[in-house]
Amino acid sequence: MSVVGSVVGFMIQTLAVSSIYILVAIGLSITLGTLKFVNFAHAAMYLAGVYIGLGIALELQFSGDIARSIGLGNVGLDLGFLAALAIIPIITFGLGLLMERFVARPFYDRPDTDQILVTFGILLIVQELIRAFVGGRSLTFSRPAWAEGAISLGPLGTYASWRLAIIGITSVLVLAVYLYIEYTDVGLAVRAGTEDTEMVNLLGVRATRPFLVIFGVGSGLAGAAGVVGGPVFSVVPEVGVGVLVPAFLVVVVGGVGSIVGSVVGGLLIGAVEVGLVMNAPTWSSVGIYALAAVVLLVRPAGLMGAVEVDE
Amino acid sequence: MSLLELEEVNSYYGESHILRGVTMEVEEGQIIALLGRNGAGKTTTLRSITGASPPEVRSGTVRFEGNDITGRRPEDISALGLSLVPEERRMFSNLTVAENLHVPDISRNLLNRIGRSEETGKTGLSDEEVYEQFPRLDERREQKAGTLSGGEQQMLAIARTLKQDTDLLMLDEPSEGLAPQIVQDVLDIIEEIAEQGKTILLVEQNAAAAIRLADYCYVLDQGRIVYEGTSEELEANDEVRQEYLGV
Repeated sequence: MSVVGSVVGFMIQTLAVSSIYILVAIGLSITLGTLKFVNFAHAAMYLAGVYIGLGIALELQFSGDIARSIGLGNVGLDLGFLAALAIIPIITFGLGLLMERFVARPFYDRPDTDQILVTFGILLIVQELIRAFVGGRSLTFSRPAWAEGAISLGPLGTYASWRLAIIGITSVLVLAVYLYIEYTDVGLAVRAGTEDTEMVNLLGVRATRPFLVIFGVGSGLAGAAGVVGGPVFSVVPEVGVGVLVPAFLVVVVGGVGSIVGSVVGGLLIGAVEVGLVMNAPTWSSVGIYALAAVVLLVRPAGLMGAVEVDE
Repeated sequence: MSLLELEEVNSYYGESHILRGVTMEVEEGQIIALLGRNGAGKTTTLRSITGASPPEVRSGTVRFEGNDITGRRPEDISALGLSLVPEERRMFSNLTVAENLHVPDISRNLLNRIGRSEETGKTGLSDEEVYEQFPRLDERREQKAGTLSGGEQQMLAIARTLKQDTDLLMLDEPSEGLAPQIVQDVLDIIEEIAEQGKTILLVEQNAAAAIRLADYCYVLDQGRIVYEGTSEELEANDEVRQEYLGV
């Protein structure tokens, strides 16, 4: 393979991995920026995306202990991947609204440690519920037929269409949310509230509603990440925690409350991970922590962050 | 009836008792100065009026246009026509000047759309009126607020408040940290706003300038009103000025 080809190949693989981290990280980043809420339960939205998405797109086999004892079999709508991609963000948006109202809001004024304990606990509960009903073994989330095979990019080489599809879907979603935050009143309230919520209130704007909406939007993105990531990462109950950690590092590296920061952070984390997996696999899981540590030493607020995490 | 009345207001920061029975009145159309040393409770008084938390108002009553507003939310109090330009200006520094000025408009657009009825049908200044009154801001519409000079930021903080339908404008230390010639610009603007019919409640470290501008003055010390009188009376009262204001 030519040098150009291997560089482009590396970039495409990085973009595909980064895409999923970015989709999960944006919601984390926004809720941490606007509401100062540390939401580890955000990864439960990813799990919802994977498992409910699988049930919508194909078929979900309930083979956990509880499911077997009550005789629950397989449930599947078999509507295809695109249907799941369209429906899941709506479902997880709704779940996000519920989570904001009943989980997050009672804990806004509590210390970070309380928020972490509660939200991580919820993530573990969701994970174990999945294990009890669906089972702990790895399921197959097949790629849609249209994304099988490879596409030739001329002299740049030939690449798996699936990776290109992930990159395309993520770009559209991230761009849509970026434009929403940049050019609508809800977005303006969110950006202003990220800097100074009390001042927003003092100007006669009740910030809670825009924050609720944006919490839902972040959850919708995480759900979409589950659908997109299902065929990429393994489909096991622990994948929620597995995605949460790099997504959190993306937020830390990119800077809290910034979509552009999440994209930049996601690309960096993805590049380091893919680069190490290709060249020094034993270091791959350590590398992203090292990157985060270096970035934080140089820029405590992250690359694009306006607020320090501790503030 | 006064526009704003405080009756025996007691406010706490945690367990610290800061305001100890503050009673004062703000008459419509006047400029009222609230004076006192650092830590006397001036900012706490303004925050108690706006409903911001902390402090916590544990007893006493704040009335605006005769209605009890004690304990209501800042956004509702603001919507009634009572606005605060807080200490240190509190720009949204990553937002442009135009975006900063648009934030108060969100209440009219967004909240109406999702179901909250407006408390007043009136509106504040339009964008054009604001830019006419503050030509410096007009030149810097697309600039990030964080890149403005201190004086320009103070103008923006005041202008942002005028976008609301405000009857009473409270300003907390508007001249703090500004160069002397800019201080005069800011004081001129406050006077101009008062002439346009707004009532002003002014908190200032620069007591001499505030007394000159004001119609009526209150002096706070250790959370209590220790003196009130017209500006002429305070001007003539060397004892009070020396003991509580150091001028």
